[in-house]
Amino acid sequence: MTDTPAPRIEAVSPLREAWQQFLRNKPAVAGLVLLVAIVAFVLYGRYFVDADPYRIVWAPLSAPGANEAVPLGTDFLGRDMLVLLLKGGAPTIAVGLSAALLTVIIGISVGALAGYFGGWIDDLLMRFTEFFQVLPALLFAMVLVTLFAPSLVTISFAIGIVSWPATARLTRAEFLRIRELEYVTAARSIGAGNQRIIWKVILPNALPPLIVSAALTVGVAILFEAGLSFLGLGDPNTISWGLMIGQNRSFLLEAWWPVAIPGMAIFLTVFAVSLVGDGLNDAFNPKLRSR
Amino acid sequence: MNPLMSLQDLRVEFDTRHGRVTALSGVSLDVMPGETLGIVGESGCGKSITALAMMGLIPNPPGHLTEGTITFDGEDITRAPARRMRQLRGGEIAMIFQEPMTSLNPVFTVGDQIAESILLHQDISRAEADKQVVELLETVGIPEPAARARTYPHQLSGGMRQRVMIAMAISCRPKLLIADEPTTALDVTVQAQIFDLMRDIQQKFGVAIVLITHDMGAIAEMTDRVAVMYAGRVIEQGLSDQILDDPLHPYTRGLIGCIPVLGRAAASADRLPPLAEIPGVVPPLHLLGKGCAFADRCALADDRCRADRPLLSAAGHGHPVACHHAGVPA
Repeated sequence: MTDTPAPRIEAVSPLREAWQQFLRNKPAVAGLVLLVAIVAFVLYGRYFVDADPYRIVWAPLSAPGANEAVPLGTDFLGRDMLVLLLKGGAPTIAVGLSAALLTVIIGISVGALAGYFGGWIDDLLMRFTEFFQVLPALLFAMVLVTLFAPSLVTISFAIGIVSWPATARLTRAEFLRIRELEYVTAARSIGAGNQRIIWKVILPNALPPLIVSAALTVGVAILFEAGLSFLGLGDPNTISWGLMIGQNRSFLLEAWWPVAIPGMAIFLTVFAVSLVGDGLNDAFNPKLRSR
Repeated sequence: MNPLMSLQDLRVEFDTRHGRVTALSGVSLDVMPGETLGIVGESGCGKSITALAMMGLIPNPPGHLTEGTITFDGEDITRAPARRMRQLRGGEIAMIFQEPMTSLNPVFTVGDQIAESILLHQDISRAEADKQVVELLETVGIPEPAARARTYPHQLSGGMRQRVMIAMAISCRPKLLIADEPTTALDVTVQAQIFDLMRDIQQKFGVAIVLITHDMGAIAEMTDRVAVMYAGRVIEQGLSDQILDDPLHPYTRGLIGCIPVLGRAAASADRLPPLAEIPGVVPPLHLLGKGCAFADRCALADDRCRADRPLLSAAGHGHPVACHHAGVPA
């Protein structure tokens, strides 16, 4: 026997391993940095530029840089674009997040029950899912928003209602695969019941693709909200990036910036979210993992 | 003495593409307290289904337990409510599996998983459970148990994982431990260690073991009694020594003939005997006729074997066997 100390036994959790893998992925890290910057800008920008976004500060449709006081120009009413951009960010991102959250909650619940129990429960839930899948998403969301007054809550709800089927199908597929694995039988053999097996044994193992899909859903939901606002179905009382585009679109030929600037903000946010989502996808994919 | 676990005329059927097939037919087995019963046979003989039936874990659908009774410790558990079965599973009856690589949940530490099985059955605090986890890991011979408890399954070798599975299985002092090919996926040296561990545990806790295997060597080494299964039926049953010394069924003989000769015996023979094999494979369950299921692979088979299925009977022999030509040398 030699005197070398035994190697220290360190716990490497699968999540930490995925995180380390994520950090090795440069585009994903860039996306994360960009996303953090955007969120910081939206949350803390008001400490630097604090003004009433509804106040008319200069001549309508002034170009960016034409006046130092309004660096990003003014919109069709002569309001400060920079202030609008700041105020409009939070609702946009909030709608994206809450719609994605709703998507994930409905999608996981339906998919988990269908995939785990199979049989007639699966048939019933999948027909239900397909019903929502074949509805034209934008049209259905428009109907929902028009029926209930357009507010941030109803818009998030409408987006969530039309986007969950994809998550449900993904969850179901993962459950169908995992429920046959030996550790599920092993869990049953120590006396675990259905609830415990669904939520504590299978779901944690099904999470990786679901996390990726949830991240991408945030991007899709932000675009969806922009689309609704562009069509004039946004919440008229809350400034959002989509609403800015929608309100200024009739003046597009005279002034590109009131549309392009919030458009750019949406693009960058969704781009950052997608990079992060792809990074997560790679981080959770064991085939790409270098051991 | 009353048997701890008793299967009486168990019949299990499965719905398949070929219609309903019979996976187990008329299986009767007794497990005495503290003994080791071996169930041996090739893949597809119904060994694992028998184990799952003992646990009440026949997947339904597509499986159906259509006939027979399962008694555990005097209690009829054939159609016991799910709640009662959950209490028994892990509490009184525990199971270890073939693939230690896949039978642990990859996203939780092994300590978490063992603690989970303790907390499911005992009303104690998490801290107390954690203390028991370390003791259990020590019992199953894992070095540095406290540190190992915090590791994830992928950080452990196959042998270590099987030890963890055993720790989990014995966490609530079960009366019956069902081991479904516990060493098939392990190196030979590790196999011996796992068998040693199982014997230790049996002595320490007095647990009865059902050892499911296709390895006659493991039967010789571990078991008191053995049941040989073929195509969903028990075809020979008796004390392990009896069966190994005086196998009556041609199938059992075939299994024993498949053990390679090693060491001195092999070296002293001028020419090694060719390793025996049983020709063919277990017939698919939907193609079983009314004759003996083994007839197509049997050197002794005649018209009677193909027309008339032999029943398990001890008449005229030392132990029960189901063969028209029991004991006739091939």
